[in-house]
Amino acid sequence: MRGFEPLAWLFQVITGILMVFLITVHFLVTHSAHNLLSYESVIERLSRLDYRLFYALLLFVVSFHAFNGLRAVILDTEGGMRRKKLVNASVALVAVIMIAYGLFLLFKL
Amino acid sequence: MKFRIRRFDEKRGSYWQSFEVPVTTAMTVLDGLFYIRENLDSSLAFRASCRMGICGSCAVKINGRPRLACETQVSKFREVKIEPLDNFAVIKDLVTEFEGFFAKHKKVKPYLINPKADYENPVEQIQTPEGLKVYYDFSLCIKCGACHSVCPAAATLEGYLSPAALVSAYRFNADSRDHGKEERLKIVSAADGVWRCHSAMECSEVCPKQIEPAKAIQLLRVATLR
Amino acid sequence: MRFLGWFKYRSPFGIAFMFQRITGLILVFYLCLHLAFLTSLQERELYEHFTSITVSKQFFIFDSLLILCGVFHGLNGIRIIIHEFGYAHEHRKAILVIFAVLILFAWLYGSYIMYMALGD
Repeated sequence: MRGFEPLAWLFQVITGILMVFLITVHFLVTHSAHNLLSYESVIERLSRLDYRLFYALLLFVVSFHAFNGLRAVILDTEGGMRRKKLVNASVALVAVIMIAYGLFLLFKL
Repeated sequence: MKFRIRRFDEKRGSYWQSFEVPVTTAMTVLDGLFYIRENLDSSLAFRASCRMGICGSCAVKINGRPRLACETQVSKFREVKIEPLDNFAVIKDLVTEFEGFFAKHKKVKPYLINPKADYENPVEQIQTPEGLKVYYDFSLCIKCGACHSVCPAAATLEGYLSPAALVSAYRFNADSRDHGKEERLKIVSAADGVWRCHSAMECSEVCPKQIEPAKAIQLLRVATLR
Repeated sequence: MRFLGWFKYRSPFGIAFMFQRITGLILVFYLCLHLAFLTSLQERELYEHFTSITVSKQFFIFDSLLILCGVFHGLNGIRIIIHEFGYAHEHRKAILVIFAVLILFAWLYGSYIMYMALGD
């Protein structure tokens, strides 16, 4: 292939489509009834393996899409384009930290 | 009809000037510009050549939208506001620098690449009508620069390979007689190529030849995946 | 400044691009806020303090705007994906109108669900 940009675009598309469904499910799970956002409800959901796996998937998908999107916006500027390698590396690093932190929270709670 | 023109010269900088132009039947904006230069102010600078929408020289921003002056009827408007194209450096009045735009075209190798060509023993390159249909629309580009002037990516990034250059790249990639697809895909797949397009589709909206440059760019993207 | 060129729309498509970018940036910002929110789950009192502010009728307007951002970005994104694979450029106006209607309905329905869940 020609560099990693085609793959990054393909995954941006795939994560985007996935997110339309995953975020809808996430929204319904947390807002379709009254006390789904109480401390007890949230902790109870997070203790179940199926929810943890769902949230881990959501975390990966959202983090990739958000940070790749942010990378595209920064590279669209003159300043960003001049420092391509730095921008790519920094955004990747922030994404990894975000995912790691999210997973840490997910399995600690 | 009032013609308000955003003029420019190095000493004065940018300034607006109005002219009152008598309207005749089926008069185009270009007719108006010629009238001004011949009768009112001979210092007005603008580009024009064929007067029939095929050379691409007279593209200017008319009432906020890039159009070919020779194809735009004055009767469409109550007042005609003319400005030079955006995203191009202005040399004088409505004349802008085009060297950068053409350089971007040259970058994508806009010619048939055939390493096996033997000019001593030339062989006819056969192409079916279906083969032509695949890229025909994209071969109609007259390099007027309208697409480049409305593209948000071109506005923010100097080095962006404009929609016109990318259309050219696709036109040759899709040509069955060409063998340079890989070379061109590598060029357009660089960071300042197709990946800076985010489907604003302004280019497709203003192309005077209705080419849909946005479609060519997206087809190039899909091609990079294969 | 050059990057203001993103906001030089002329057609509905340019406007859609502008909002896609703006909502994307808002959502990235929200993502960071959301993770901060989830951090507060480690302490019951802190979490309940935050939710008492944000899960309320007074805060609802911000949540509704967030739903609009999310719905717009997602559905407009799907429209862009259709075009980015080379399909339906000839029908782009009709597709834009269809998606605009879908976005409006999804926003109103999502806001309705959230409002009903507020209860009290």
